[in-house]
Parts: sequence; structure tokens; C-alpha cells
Amino acid sequence: MNTATVTLDATHLTAAASPMRTSKTRRAVNAEWTKLRTLPSTWRTAVIATVLSIALGAILCVSQAQQWASMTAQQRRIFDPTSCSLFGVVFVGAMMLAALGVRSVAGEYSTGMIRSTFTATPTRRRVLAAKAGVTAAFVFPVALLADIVSFQVGQQIFTGKHLEVSWDHAGVLQAVVFGAVAVSLIAVIGVGLGGLIRHTAGATTALVLLIVGGVTLGQLLPAGLRQYVPGTVFQAAVTVHRSAGLLEPRAAVAVLATYAAIVLAAAAIRIGHRDA
Amino acid sequence: MIEAKHLTKRYGRTIAVNEVSFAVKPGQVTGFLGPNGAGKSTTMRMILGLDAPTSGEVRVDGKPYRELADPLRSVGALLDAKAIVGGRSAANHLMWLADSNGIARRRVSEVLDIVGLSDVAGKKVGAFSLGMNQRLGIAAALLGDPQTVMFDEPINGLDPEGILWIRNFMKALAAEGRTVFLSSHLMSEMAQTADHLIVIGRGRIIADAGTDEFIHRHTAASVRVRAVEQNVLAEALTRRGALIEHGPDSVMTVTGMDAAQIGGVAYAHAVTLIELAPLGSSLEAAYFDLTKDETDYDAALLVGASQGA
Repeated sequence: MNTATVTLDATHLTAAASPMRTSKTRRAVNAEWTKLRTLPSTWRTAVIATVLSIALGAILCVSQAQQWASMTAQQRRIFDPTSCSLFGVVFVGAMMLAALGVRSVAGEYSTGMIRSTFTATPTRRRVLAAKAGVTAAFVFPVALLADIVSFQVGQQIFTGKHLEVSWDHAGVLQAVVFGAVAVSLIAVIGVGLGGLIRHTAGATTALVLLIVGGVTLGQLLPAGLRQYVPGTVFQAAVTVHRSAGLLEPRAAVAVLATYAAIVLAAAAIRIGHRDA
Repeated sequence: MIEAKHLTKRYGRTIAVNEVSFAVKPGQVTGFLGPNGAGKSTTMRMILGLDAPTSGEVRVDGKPYRELADPLRSVGALLDAKAIVGGRSAANHLMWLADSNGIARRRVSEVLDIVGLSDVAGKKVGAFSLGMNQRLGIAAALLGDPQTVMFDEPINGLDPEGILWIRNFMKALAAEGRTVFLSSHLMSEMAQTADHLIVIGRGRIIADAGTDEFIHRHTAASVRVRAVEQNVLAEALTRRGALIEHGPDSVMTVTGMDAAQIGGVAYAHAVTLIELAPLGSSLEAAYFDLTKDETDYDAALLVGASQGA
């Protein structure tokens, strides 16, 4: 009798205890994915970001094509039809998609729903990691689609001036994919900023300042440092024709990933140590 | 089962919860009663692992909250019904909660049924009334079929019908053998709902007793009496241990005996009664006095401190 009970208890224990570590993370990811996909504004944002990215890229391509005749030899040498066509994704699409990351944390803090989240998943770092992972995974295909269409539309526009590059041109495929990777990393930075600042408006402003403002303020920095300003790094990730003052694309993605890791780690520390 | 031991929370120099120890037992509704700002919500947040105690500890089913395997299966809590992102439907809000703890999704429609929200399952919660939000919060708390449920001021802002519904619901949960912990700042509400009361004032526990016992101990029922042979009656009542307070117009306020007993004494002494009126329960007054004492106590300390300085 006794041994039978003990054996039963033991199997019961192992059955309940062993798969916990992996499944807890999966559960947190499932919950965050359900949250993201059940907000209608998620899909609205994805559609609007894609359309605006493509439109803005097209507008820049048209204007660059018109200015071609008046460009100096130097300007023509550094002209990059690929990064030019991806301009909309880099500056507007990225901002709008990264706002989804900001919202996933800051939106819950401002409504107080973060308490429900933390009572359901008490390990706060797991929550933050799940939000970052889910946001990045959602944003990547959206940005990739916007990149592909923007590139296609842009090259179509350049055909008139015979400036276009094709898909098999060296570095083009990498630039298009890196563009989407960079947008995902910026969305992760958005998650981190949401955790650090906790107000949707404040964290979104910080994000815009970091990406756009950084490029402007970067002019004040010494040349060696200027290439590490987040917005400039982002630009570098999608370049094919390298110009001076920009990092090599692979290095740019690595630097951006480092920034994302730093912001996310800072958010994890802040979220873990504070009362919710 | 919730057990707090010397639970303390300080914010800077302010003590929100001060050395609080109590146990919330299964099978009954335990009311957590105290004025606004007494430390009820802070205590509840510490139970759920949302706020870290400065010292002391609190356990649910023998474990700190953060160590529970699937917390929603052990504890269901409703802290603030309005703390919810409004763009999602009721069913989808419950769905992410279910996903977070590996709870089967069919449970979502079950709990919506239980709280009577099935008809609005697809409606956005942003458009919900407070009463509907409260019901949704209760549905969320029941999602994991937990042994312990905890609600912070669940009747705040509800209409009488909603209050009655919540009251009966809490009693039904306790009757199923669950641990039900309910906070309120309203004594009258708690007296009707709770089997056991834990009263907190200024971060300290000032009473921990069965509701009946609490009422018996803290309400000195009094009776207003006027009689033709007033002195004879007063003497007879005093001899039997009653306390008499003489007011104007020959009115006596008698404590320590109820109206039937006083009537019996009057009959035995052939006293003609003019008035015999039990005065309404002074439970609310007792609660007020109890919590007011805490305030005075602190004020006295402050005065002492400033004089000492």
C-alpha cells in the first residue's frame, strides 16, 4: 500500500514539474501573441505602415530621379537606388511598427492591465522577453513585404532614367532583408522604451527622437561617433553603395542588435525591481 | 488559504502596512475591512506578488505567489475592473489570460456564462459599463477554477441589483469550499456578506473575528426607555447589571439589556412603561470608532514626537 502511494506521488510530481521551464515561456509567448493579434489597431497599423512606407519611398524616388540631371558627379557616385527606395520603410514604417512594441508595454502600464499580466505571469522578465519576441516576429514579415514592394516600385520609377538596379545586383537582397531585420530590432527597442518610460506618448516620443532626432543631432558629434547614431546605423543597414561615414551593413545590424539588447536589459531591470 | 506573517510595506517614511499577520481560511467569505487608505489594496498587491514587502511574508497555499506553478489555477483576483485595454473583446481578453496559464480555451465561454456575459462576449470592453467590467473581472478570476479568490472593493459603483448579485456569488463560492477574500470600506456591506472580518486601520490589524462575534463585541445595543415609576425601574435595572444614562425629559438610555428583558423587569415591578424603543444597530458607529481610534492614536504619537523634539 505504502509503496504504491509513493510511486503514484512520484510520477504525479514529475509529470507536473518537468516540462515547466519550456512551457512557461511558450505560454507567455502565446498570451502576448493573443494580445497582439486581438487588437484591431495592430492590423490597422500594419496596413497603414506598409502603405505609407511604399508611398513615401516612391515619392523620394520620383524626386531623386528628377534631380538626377542637376546632381554633381560626387552626388551621382554615392547615389544608392536601393536605400533610396527603402527610405519610407526606414523612416516611417519603422516608427509606426515600433510603436506596436511601445504600446505592448506602455499601454498596459497606463491602463493598469500590467497587473493582470504580472499576476498571470509573475516572472516579469519572461513577460518582457515574450513581448519583444512576439513584436519582432510580427513586425518582420510586415517590414519585409513593405521592403520588397518599395524596392520594386522604386526601381520601376528609376527605369525611366536608367538608374535602376535589379534583384541580382550584389548587396540588394541583403539590404532588403536587413531592412526588415532592422525594423524588428527597432520594434524591440520600442518594447524596451515602453518598459523604461511606461507612458505611451512619452516612450513614442523617445523612440522618434532616437531614430530621427539622432540623425540631426549626430551632426554635432565627431565623425567617428556619428556613424553610431541609431538613425544613421539604420540607414547603413540598407545601403548597397557605401558612402563615407556609414558602417558596413553587417556591422550596422550588429550595432543595432546591441542597442536593442541594452535597452531591453535596462527595461528588464527597471520592471523587475519596481512595484507594479 | 492565504497566510500573512508580519507583513510590512513602507513607501519612503510612510508605513502603508505595518506588521500585519492574518490567515484567510477556506469555506467562508472573509471581509477585509478598513477606511480608504488603510492598506487594503497594498496588502492585496503583496499577496499577488505585485508589490514586494519591505519585511515579513505572505503565502498562498503555503507558497509565495511568485512560486505558484500556474498562478491563475491557484488564485483568481480582481483588483481594478477598469484596468483593462479597451480595444479587445471580452472573450479575447479572457483568451490571453487562459493562454498565459495553459487553460483550455473552452473555459472562456464557461466563465462568460457563469457571470452572464455570453451575449456580449464579442463586444469591445471599452464600451462596457462598470457593472459589466466587474463581471468580466470576476470571470477572469474564475478562469483557472482557483481554490482562492480575491476581490478588491468589488461592489464599488454598482447598483443595488449588481451588489446583490456579487454578494450571493461570493457566498456561493465560499459554499463550494473556496477561500473568498473580499475588501470593502463599507461596514454594513461586509456585515451582510462576510462570515469573518479582518479590520485594518492605518496599516494595522485592529480586529480579526467572526462577523457575529465582531458585531456582538462592538455594538452595545441600547434601548430608549421612559416610565411613570422611573426611579423604581432604574433601580431594578441597575441591580440586574444594566447601565443607565439619564437624558432630558426623563428619558433613560439603557445598555446591557434588550427591550424584552427591560419589559419583563418593568412587569415584575408593576412599572407603567411610556416608551420602550430599541435603538438601531450602531455597527457602523462601532466601526467608525474603531478606525477613528487608530487615527487618534497616530495623531497622539505625532504630537508626542513634536513635543519631544
